[in-house]
Amino acid sequence: MLEMRDVYCSIGKHEVISGVSLRVEEGELVTLLGANGAGKSTLFKTISGLIKPTRGTITFRGEDISRSRPDQIVRMGISLCPEGRKLFPRLSVRKNLMMGAYTRHRDREQVASALREVFELFPILEERSEQDAGTLSGGEQQMLAIARALMAGPRLLLLDEPSLGLAPLVVTRIMETIADINRRGVTVFLSEQNAGMALSISTRGYVVENGRIVLEGSAEELAGNEEVKKAYIGA
Amino acid sequence: MTFFINQLIIGIQLGSQYVMVALGLTLIFGILDISHFAHGHMYMLGAYLLYILMELAGVNYWLALPLCMVALALGGVVVERLVYRPLRDQPHINTFIAAIGLILFLETMVRAIQPKALSVSKPIDKVFSAGGVSMEAQRLIVIVGAALLVIALHLFIKRTRLGTAIEAVAQDREGAALVGINVNRISLLTFAIATALAAAAAVLMAPLAFIAPEMGSVLILKAFVIVVLGGLGSMQGAIVGGYLLGILEAMAIAYLSSTYKDVFAFAVLILILAVRPTGLFRGRE
Repeated sequence: MLEMRDVYCSIGKHEVISGVSLRVEEGELVTLLGANGAGKSTLFKTISGLIKPTRGTITFRGEDISRSRPDQIVRMGISLCPEGRKLFPRLSVRKNLMMGAYTRHRDREQVASALREVFELFPILEERSEQDAGTLSGGEQQMLAIARALMAGPRLLLLDEPSLGLAPLVVTRIMETIADINRRGVTVFLSEQNAGMALSISTRGYVVENGRIVLEGSAEELAGNEEVKKAYIGA
Repeated sequence: MTFFINQLIIGIQLGSQYVMVALGLTLIFGILDISHFAHGHMYMLGAYLLYILMELAGVNYWLALPLCMVALALGGVVVERLVYRPLRDQPHINTFIAAIGLILFLETMVRAIQPKALSVSKPIDKVFSAGGVSMEAQRLIVIVGAALLVIALHLFIKRTRLGTAIEAVAQDREGAALVGINVNRISLLTFAIATALAAAAAVLMAPLAFIAPEMGSVLILKAFVIVVLGGLGSMQGAIVGGYLLGILEAMAIAYLSSTYKDVFAFAVLILILAVRPTGLFRGRE
């Protein structure tokens, strides 16, 4: 479904991604493990078109998207729930969600059913729907960010560290929901620093260090790997 | 008392003009993070276009109003595309220099073509009076026209998908791109709306004042004061701030001195920056 081939990326003069090749197949839930600054966010921003790769190709369902604009990529079926959430703090929860469906506003039926679905996944958002997004708690904001990304009806959902800064109980709840979203047919590509929880819901995973893929394998393989245990599970 | 009411009406009318110009300035600031100092000169172009349409082409005032708005909306699009877009990721000072360049270009160009001040005739040349309070019809047209446009803009921003997209881009540009909003297109749309509003202000005000190449200069400085007073990027702030400054000026002219009327606006700016630099309303964080 998604394939990156020998992708290089720079921010300013710094090369942040150095020859990454990876693939995500339809229906999978793939985890990208990496420490702070390893290049996870840059990788996701590159897939989303916010950053243009300096070399290499990215294809989605057979089409080259390496040069496409972010709005074109959303229309093709890739949504990113970014690090830092990037919500619209002074718009209501409902308006944030409606903006999530910006690219497919013409199909009111679809938008209404997407809204029902995200309220079913995150009932708290329905309760808070008239509140400004900026007034929500951290966990609720993360739920809103995921819900907003889902409103576009993506085939591939990119989640950049959805557990960052949240209480363990909330993290469990969000991870369960991510697994649920995947079961409903959305392919998920997830980045995390903490491997345990993420690998437990994943099919496969990659480990990224200094902008390079250093390890890949099935979720069980990675969870059993000593290096991974030491660096990303903390057991 | 009637004197006071007369001055209040003049204040509201002055404020109406300020609100229309300041709203555009604050919208553009919200979206692009730039102070579009040439906005007052787009206003000036609107007044000249009105003169050309009415006095040279014989177009009716009420038809000239929408024509000027559409023409200047396109002008705003051209300015965004040619002047500001290429400087998007450059240091702020470059944008500032570009704005000054645009001001000099527009003002010199107009002065070269027509150095003398011009005027247009009033569409309704009447004075209403009731109980000692008298009001020129044109002042009423400015007040009502501005109010209608401000309400229309408010409804557009709050109730439509494109309007919400403008707010979304202002609040988080990257987040907006990630939900599939074409941020460049929204920025063009914002310039179009803001410049059309400036044109409307010019058309409404023109029958009450002279049309001159430098007419935008003081106005844009006052609009800037209003935007700071109201809170950068806040529409609500621009509306309240605009009417406040208009009324303040009218009262200052009446009860203090008309010679120093422009001084008050800048005294307000200095005071606000010293006492409450974030402005009256919360704009962007």
